[in-house]
Amino acid sequence: MTGFTLVEKIVKSHSDVSDEEIYPGNILWIDLDLVTARDYAGPQVIDLFQKNYPGSETFDNDKIIFTPDCYPYGNDPKHAIDQEKIRVFAKEHKIRVTDLGSGIGSHLLFRRGYAKPGDIAFGADSHYNILGALGILGQGAGDVMLAFSIKTGKSWIKIPETIKVVIKGDYKWPTTSKDLALYVLKLLHEYGITGKAVEFYGPIISKLSIEDRVTLCSLITEASGVIGFVPPNDITAEYYKQFNLETKTIVADENANYADELEIDIQDLGLYVACPPHPHNVKPIEEVLGTEIDSIVIGSCTNGTATDIKQAAEVLKNNKTHENLRLGIVPATREDFVELNLDGTMATILEAGGNFFGAGCSTCARGQYGLTGGKTTVTMTTGNRNTQGKIGPGDVYLASPIVAAATAIKGKIAIPEKKGD
Amino acid sequence: MSVEKISGGVTLVRVDDIDTDQIFHQSLLTIHDPEEIKPHIFGNLLGYENFRKENHENKIMVVGKNFGKGSTRQQAVTGFIAYKILAIIGESFGPIYYSNAVNSGLLLIEAPGISEFAISDQDTLEVDFVTSTITNTNTGDSLRCKPIPKPVLDIISAGGLLELGKKSK
Repeated sequence: MTGFTLVEKIVKSHSDVSDEEIYPGNILWIDLDLVTARDYAGPQVIDLFQKNYPGSETFDNDKIIFTPDCYPYGNDPKHAIDQEKIRVFAKEHKIRVTDLGSGIGSHLLFRRGYAKPGDIAFGADSHYNILGALGILGQGAGDVMLAFSIKTGKSWIKIPETIKVVIKGDYKWPTTSKDLALYVLKLLHEYGITGKAVEFYGPIISKLSIEDRVTLCSLITEASGVIGFVPPNDITAEYYKQFNLETKTIVADENANYADELEIDIQDLGLYVACPPHPHNVKPIEEVLGTEIDSIVIGSCTNGTATDIKQAAEVLKNNKTHENLRLGIVPATREDFVELNLDGTMATILEAGGNFFGAGCSTCARGQYGLTGGKTTVTMTTGNRNTQGKIGPGDVYLASPIVAAATAIKGKIAIPEKKGD
Repeated sequence: MSVEKISGGVTLVRVDDIDTDQIFHQSLLTIHDPEEIKPHIFGNLLGYENFRKENHENKIMVVGKNFGKGSTRQQAVTGFIAYKILAIIGESFGPIYYSNAVNSGLLLIEAPGISEFAISDQDTLEVDFVTSTITNTNTGDSLRCKPIPKPVLDIISAGGLLELGKKSK
């Protein structure tokens, strides 16, 4: 018989159905390893839980985490009261809270080893599928699903078709995994992966760092895909050793039933920028060179790790940001913050004119940064969404941390010439 | 609700790739009351700022490709339930949006080809779930839609996912 894809294997191991019921399009009930909610959605999840299941216990308090990461500084009454609701409920039910300054929930799940390859984690974040970078079936879910899940430990999932994507070729500085991710997003959006999963293969993929894998997988949501997986390998296993966690090998079957197979050649890939008003409006940087930028934010679950920020710092070193431009840095997690501090990256960026804000989701939820300006302000971020009006009324471009750094120096979209020295 | 057949007037929002920030903007996420959500629906979608002023009760909304892509916010579903919209027909939906809608009891109908299917503001659509057919009763033209999976009908018939949770110990 036909074998199973990664998503089919993970779903199968979390349900009690026979092999015959594992096929694309079928809807199955699954048991969850982890259910989380953040400061947006979390308070509403709690309200729905208490209203519908009064006096109930949660299914397992050790498998629930609240991860305030959008607006954890609570700097207005409404947010502060919402935050309080989470803390009070969590205390009553003995649930872990990764509170103020801990950072983005989806990143903490791997940075702290809360979830491991083969697990299923549901949370109130549409980029939970970045966990596919570690072979975890992460999925975003709304308030209703999460309230149901913290009561029952269950969820439902429609098994997606899987597209096998083989990446051929290699790239070199200043091209990074963000350019790869943008290029792949453009192609997959054109191809159409709505409601589908993707598995990435190829020599370049198997040697990508965890951070690069996260960046690549983080743009699948922007093509309306369910998840992108980088099959776990020795790099994944090595990563989990820091938590003394042995990870099981989970791979798709040789004869897995893929809906399609695509080959993408990225030899000598250049630099790419997502232009307004959609993330998939990806263009080679040459087409937008010289566009004046007023505000730059380096951060988000796509490019907010210490590794990402260090790449920007290498360009900013011994340079100054342009006088007409503001540069904000929002590290993804407290762990990234510490790393940046220990090796002097923070000082390098501060000396260049950059500014640091508390760890978290950055401009995607406004909690750490706020609006970047009014109608005339043009912004560049290293994030994943530039939808019209999301970050502010003006245009927004998405690019890699290296391009963001070069642009910060010139005040207009620029190609980095060399690392600073 | 009856899940064999529905019919109603139309609300046309024929734009592809409408994301949740265009349906209900991120700056409003502390709002949860359905009536308070309503006036903000499509507040960030160019050309649809007047959506709030129109009556959508018992209407079938027609959208394009990838409707509801983007964030997990439940409000982007709750708002349409507050308008008492019967169902949304689209080429395709963001997967999280689809799940959020089902869980709240809002029916989404996937109909590849709906973008080219002739519908005017004054038309009435009828959706037959037994035969998976959408009919424009004014023109008599029909289009096939994807069948609604049984578990989805079960959740919607139960009155939403939270009702099912009440049966769980």
